[in-house]
Amino acid sequence: MSLLRRRESRLGWLFVAPATLHLVVFALFPMGFALYISLFKWRLFKDSPEFVFLQNYVWSFTEGPFWNALWNSFRYTAVSVPAGMAVALGVALLVNQKLRGVTIFRTLYYIPAISSGVAVSMLWIYVFLPETGMLNLLLRMIGVSSIAFLQDSTWAMWALAFMSIWTGLGPKMVLYLAGLVGIPQSLYEAAELDGAGKLRSFWSVTLPMLAPTTIFVLITSTIGAMQVFTPVYMMTKGGPENSTDVVGYHIYTEAWVNFNTGLASAKSFVLLVIIGGISLLQFRLMRRQLEGYSAS
Amino acid sequence: MLRLTNWGGAGEDNDYDRLVKDLYRRFERDHPGVRLKIENIPGEYVPKMLLNFVAGTQPEVMVLDASSAAVFVNNGLLTDLRPFVESDPEFDLGDFYPNVVDIARRGDKLYAIPIDFTPMVVYYNKDLFDKAGVPYPDPNWTFAEFFEIAQKLTIPAKDPGLPPVQYGFVFTNWMPAWVMWLWNNGGDVLSPDGSKATGYLDSDPNVETLTFLRDLVKRHKVAPSLSEMQAMGADPFVHGKAAMVVMGHWALTGYKNAPKDGSGKPLIDWERLGVAHLPHNTPEPHTVFYEAGLAIPKDCNHPEEAWEFIRYWTSAEVQRVYNSSGIAVSARKDISRERAADPIEAQFLPIVPSARPPYGSRVESYEIVENVGRSMIDSILNNDVPVREALRRAASRIDREFAKR
Repeated sequence: MSLLRRRESRLGWLFVAPATLHLVVFALFPMGFALYISLFKWRLFKDSPEFVFLQNYVWSFTEGPFWNALWNSFRYTAVSVPAGMAVALGVALLVNQKLRGVTIFRTLYYIPAISSGVAVSMLWIYVFLPETGMLNLLLRMIGVSSIAFLQDSTWAMWALAFMSIWTGLGPKMVLYLAGLVGIPQSLYEAAELDGAGKLRSFWSVTLPMLAPTTIFVLITSTIGAMQVFTPVYMMTKGGPENSTDVVGYHIYTEAWVNFNTGLASAKSFVLLVIIGGISLLQFRLMRRQLEGYSAS
Repeated sequence: MLRLTNWGGAGEDNDYDRLVKDLYRRFERDHPGVRLKIENIPGEYVPKMLLNFVAGTQPEVMVLDASSAAVFVNNGLLTDLRPFVESDPEFDLGDFYPNVVDIARRGDKLYAIPIDFTPMVVYYNKDLFDKAGVPYPDPNWTFAEFFEIAQKLTIPAKDPGLPPVQYGFVFTNWMPAWVMWLWNNGGDVLSPDGSKATGYLDSDPNVETLTFLRDLVKRHKVAPSLSEMQAMGADPFVHGKAAMVVMGHWALTGYKNAPKDGSGKPLIDWERLGVAHLPHNTPEPHTVFYEAGLAIPKDCNHPEEAWEFIRYWTSAEVQRVYNSSGIAVSARKDISRERAADPIEAQFLPIVPSARPPYGSRVESYEIVENVGRSMIDSILNNDVPVREALRRAASRIDREFAKR
């Protein structure tokens, strides 16, 4: 290795050092420590944690409420992710038009993404109010009687999923927009020459060319949805009747209401493994879509 | 520098906050060199305080809420105040209600001095009683008598498809406001040592009590359903749309500033409120009080000054001013008696001896029990789960949570 190369590599390390250090101190170390305490029966303020090895993990799997929380997270993810992606793609197509003032719309759609989750949740509490809420006023116009969205255990989870379509719109839309911009115009021209209509070219050109974007959005949204916490904490506290007690909120309760720090850490790692498994599965399933794809 | 932690948001500039600030300033004037640093914690008070302890950054004085005191008291996180009390010639525990002081007592140790408390009572609207020609509640009324009154005070709408225009009672799923019903029918939530719910929560008297409460709402419709309550978006009692409600003393501040009708007249007349024991099938009435006290965390930097502050804050002079806000009953007998010049305040005093400390002062993480309790009511009222079954499920869920410790 030449002197120059060596100096360059040292310089390179210097550049990545701050980020790496931050990652080690604020992510890797806490994660390692959490793994360590997940092997103990540990109440935060007690001086004598008791080593129980895998007992916390065993306990998690035999605990009904934890399964209920996992099931709730799955339900939420299974609905909110596809719906959120479909809406985001639709909006991305809309704001991809060559119109005057389209940037205003792009900005408007992105605003929820930069708003505080707490403030947004408060806002949606009002939207979901029975009788007087905005949504119920709209429903009344079409003759549907009032629904207590957040107080009814059949509706609460779907209400949160519905809200997530709106809150998660911004980043998904921007990613799709970037994907759309990257599709060569020549492909559309070729499709048109072959006699493809608008719908056909969307189906045969746009969607396949968006495959990498779709995979990325799918995996990141799934991870986000499995970890949902803020709206549940703000709007339903896991209720009514634990119907919105998602894993994130369940772990929070375990740690900060029950103070079972060890058990809560163990549950966090169960969640980590599950999310990892889902992501891997999605990757496997989508890999075929990626074959033969080239962005050239 | 003296740090004091309390729950509550950033101060607004209302009368109460100004009054409290003045009292803090006065303490600083009387104790040159001591600066008070007040930390108001708007939410998640207990976990945030515990983290202070874990990190070794505990304040000199902390306000201790009886409903969540157990975790601090039982784990040796607080200083025993007995030595301070005994060596302080001017401080007399006898000035305070004994059952309120006992909340923070463990054996011969004492971990907090009470400031004020609020027993849960039945408020009733005398105007609505008079209008219906119903006599005011007898102090020894039973569940059956309560039901009879509630029924008489429910006014159905002209159109039978609509909800009543006036309800006899308001029931909420919030457990701190209904747990006393169980005691007043001879039932309970946990075993006497607070370790177990099965065999206690799912007992026959409790099935009877909750069936009674469920029927008030669902069968006889003398109280609004949970979704009707949500739809109203406001307390029907304060709007003059319900004759009785179970609440703590803190509710009075809202009743004082009741919303007004079109002509600018308040919807409920604050002077015409009655306060009563809860109805009880037991010989004696039972209720609970929720209380706030002052404690000194273990290993804080200035325990002596902290005690100075506590004796100042719980003194008659300060409590006289502080308690004039009317949010709670002073834990000092002399002050609460002075306040009893007000007829409404006077009605609280006979109820005090029948009040017991909340479970949260003895049982750690009692909040879990209250969450399960709320879910249980939801399942009974919204999903028609049979009462016995709902109680059994709740009891086993609570026991499972306890088993994790």
